[in-house]
Amino acid sequence: MTASDFIKKVQDKEIDPVEHTYQVLKECKKINKEFSYFTTLSEELALNQAEAIKKDPKKPLAGLPISVKDCICVKGVETTSSSRILKGYHPLFNATAVKKLIHDGAIIIGKTVQDEFGFGGFSTNVGLDFKTPKNPFDKLRVTGGSSGGCAGIAQKLDFPHISLGESTGGSIVNPASFCGVYGLCPTYGRVSRYGLLDYGNSLDKIGTLSRELEDSALILKHISGVDRHDCTALDKAVDNYPSFVKKPAKGMKVAIVKEALSEGVSEPVTKKLEETKAKLEAQGVKVEEISLELPIKYGLACYYLLATSEASTNLAKYCGMRYGNTEKLEGGFNEYFTKVRSKHFGKEAKRRIIIGTFSRMAGSRDAYYIKALKVRKKIVDEYKQAFKAYDALLTPTVPILPPKFDEVESLSLLENYMTDIMTVGPNLAGLPHLNVPVGFEKGLPVGMMLTADHLEEKKIIQLGDALK
Amino acid sequence: MKFTSDIVIGLEIHAELATDSKLFCSCPTHGDDTPNSRTCPICLGHPGSKPVINKKAVEYAVKLCLALGCNINKELIFSRKSYFYPDLAKNYQISQFDIPLGEKGKLKLKSGKEIGITRVHMEEDPASLVHPSGMQSSNYVLVDYNRSGDPLCEIVTEPDLDSPEQARDFMKQLITVLKYLGIFDIDRCIIKADANISIKESGYIRSEIKNITGFKEIERALFFEVDRQKQAIKDGEKFVQDTRSWDTDTGTTKRIRTKETEADYGFILEPDLTKIEITDTWLDEIKITMPELAQDKTLKFKEKYKLTPEFAEILAQDKLLAELFEKVAAEINPVLAAKWLRRELVRVLNYNKKTLKDIQLDEKQLIKLLKLVESKKITETTAQKLMEILVEGVDDNGKALHIEAYITEHGLEAVSDVSELKKFCEEAIKENAKVVESYKAGESKALNFLVGQVMKKTKGKASPKEVNDILKNLLK
Repeated sequence: MTASDFIKKVQDKEIDPVEHTYQVLKECKKINKEFSYFTTLSEELALNQAEAIKKDPKKPLAGLPISVKDCICVKGVETTSSSRILKGYHPLFNATAVKKLIHDGAIIIGKTVQDEFGFGGFSTNVGLDFKTPKNPFDKLRVTGGSSGGCAGIAQKLDFPHISLGESTGGSIVNPASFCGVYGLCPTYGRVSRYGLLDYGNSLDKIGTLSRELEDSALILKHISGVDRHDCTALDKAVDNYPSFVKKPAKGMKVAIVKEALSEGVSEPVTKKLEETKAKLEAQGVKVEEISLELPIKYGLACYYLLATSEASTNLAKYCGMRYGNTEKLEGGFNEYFTKVRSKHFGKEAKRRIIIGTFSRMAGSRDAYYIKALKVRKKIVDEYKQAFKAYDALLTPTVPILPPKFDEVESLSLLENYMTDIMTVGPNLAGLPHLNVPVGFEKGLPVGMMLTADHLEEKKIIQLGDALK
Repeated sequence: MKFTSDIVIGLEIHAELATDSKLFCSCPTHGDDTPNSRTCPICLGHPGSKPVINKKAVEYAVKLCLALGCNINKELIFSRKSYFYPDLAKNYQISQFDIPLGEKGKLKLKSGKEIGITRVHMEEDPASLVHPSGMQSSNYVLVDYNRSGDPLCEIVTEPDLDSPEQARDFMKQLITVLKYLGIFDIDRCIIKADANISIKESGYIRSEIKNITGFKEIERALFFEVDRQKQAIKDGEKFVQDTRSWDTDTGTTKRIRTKETEADYGFILEPDLTKIEITDTWLDEIKITMPELAQDKTLKFKEKYKLTPEFAEILAQDKLLAELFEKVAAEINPVLAAKWLRRELVRVLNYNKKTLKDIQLDEKQLIKLLKLVESKKITETTAQKLMEILVEGVDDNGKALHIEAYITEHGLEAVSDVSELKKFCEEAIKENAKVVESYKAGESKALNFLVGQVMKKTKGKASPKEVNDILKNLLK
């Protein structure tokens, strides 16, 4: 059942939202015991919302269960970005995206686990005391990250449901690929970031993960739009995204990025890319190859410098004052906050703070931070040039099948970061991109990534559906 | 940079702008002073909160840049200044680094010397720290976020000041500009400065003195510092660039840190704020609202109205007073108007502990009053008394003051008919022969007695000076 079908049944009083929500929560608890996708199940909130919907079911998203990545604020529900430093923090306000969904009648069922603050591509960097989520198809493998919990529960939950995720360098499409679901990351600024715990403010985007493409499209429509609380939110018309799901893709032009094929892409993934190309062509889509050098060559370095520079300032506020975890109040301020941060940040968080701080210190700022800004501009220009001739770009989302936990352990830091090689480009340029689950190899899901020009989400939705 | 003067001073001033809301959120900048009552997730630095720019604050800052003759950068871009301190809600301050709002301006001192303004930029205020039992003896500090996020303008001067007195005057001139523009409320806004100072004897190795409040304290702190540095030279101390704090209670500066341990703020561009264009249209709109400034008024008062430099300056200092003067001077002899506003009006205001802003001065009545003084229809003494009533706004019966009616009612017209006065003078001379003799014998004070006698006859409604002149003439 798609979300729209479900909503209609609730509106027509065929389905009791309270009973349904209760069932959903029960199922989530069961799944969670095995797979650890949730950090919190917001039972009280969800059932209260369901009661309200039962009384007034004529809302556009009536009764629809939504899970929310832990870094997105839900008022009164513990929000930690899966970091121990924010344990106990209950936000005073809803993120704008969440507020809109609640207003439209959706039910917030819980917060999903992630790499701490978004620092990772496998969800193996969950914060201290948090449980690592497991791949829905093989519990010895990773979910991908950082929106691992989102992708996992989107796959596993057998009820109509969409997960609200977040992407900085690829954190929506990467886990979507590893868990075999759609992951829709919109244009930067399409969805307000108010209430999103920042990783890299110029890179972060809120998006959706779901089993059905039209479900992601539906939610994107409801959360998009201008917001006076976030001046980076675009004041541009919101397309009717669900309507593009049924539109035929015939006549559209897609380019495969040549450079993406040479970067350690595994054989099963390459095979699926060929199949995808054939399928698109069968639908009347023209598929060509282009060279797009800069994102592949410099994207990772550019991304890691900018994202960590911004992150190191964003995480400075977590110091045991006013909210979150605290320590015994003794010693001077320096000693106190050092203790809180040393004790409660995970290793990757510390690493990225150090890298980011170094990149912007007086002696290295020009060579790293400023240089990265300039490179980023060039990357954007190269993409804009490509989109003059093509509706979308096509690459594998990630170069590999979902790895085992011990394989990830044995990766060098650089190899670890290299998983992002396809996704950093669109994320740096703020371009909308979609993971399309294209089938299985060796029993594990493979995903292809479609990228379109700014504010052209409708094109990748149209093309994505063509690959169903 | 080659220095030649004995003392070299540069100032870095933080002036709070008089907006209603904070710089990045809609919390009020004043009102309830209960600690942490004027806060929200944004100025408390809550996770997920985002800043949104206060347009009025930008307008105020642009006005200041225009008044200081700065080049204005058409794109307003903010930066994050990172450091850890308990008064910083986000452990970074949103400020401007790479590209400030205004650059390369200037401000003239009273002496006419031009002081260069390196840059003017906008930033948010940190919270206030309260030391419950004084700065030296508290073992904890309380943080009040009411101030967190207040809009500030930072003004940095070139090291063009060469004495503590000049520094003080610079602050005074700057405060006058701020008040004239209406962007600074002297009653609730704070102005603080850091001062960089060095002396020739040390080879111009400078000390930075942080956080001095008010222009009098600037002069005090700098006087102390010059002496301290000179003494240090005599004592053979090794000079290093350092940062010091000013303790107003003990009147001394103390070292906080040396240059080796200076903070590196790791600036990045503020990614949560989009670029704000200062369009030509907007600039023109702001320019139209700019008032003529104090320094221009001072010049005008000297040249057009022929006031003395002292009078010109004092009247120009207060915008309301200056504007009042110009209205009055259109109908009254400017020198007389200046004298009466500067001496009498200000005297009465001070006595009542009021400012022009506090009262509803009826300008028409004031002009009428001064016209009567000018034409000598009332004595100066009478006018002084009437001035008091004018400031109060109502007469002894609680009625609005109408000058002419009041004078008639109370019979206050001056006796100014010269023949009548001469008659009284002749009478007084006749009645006080002994006093006249004393005067003629050289006792000049005896004349005052005679004047007093004539004043009695006129019931005080004559000008003592006129009487004095007539008597002198008669007794020649």
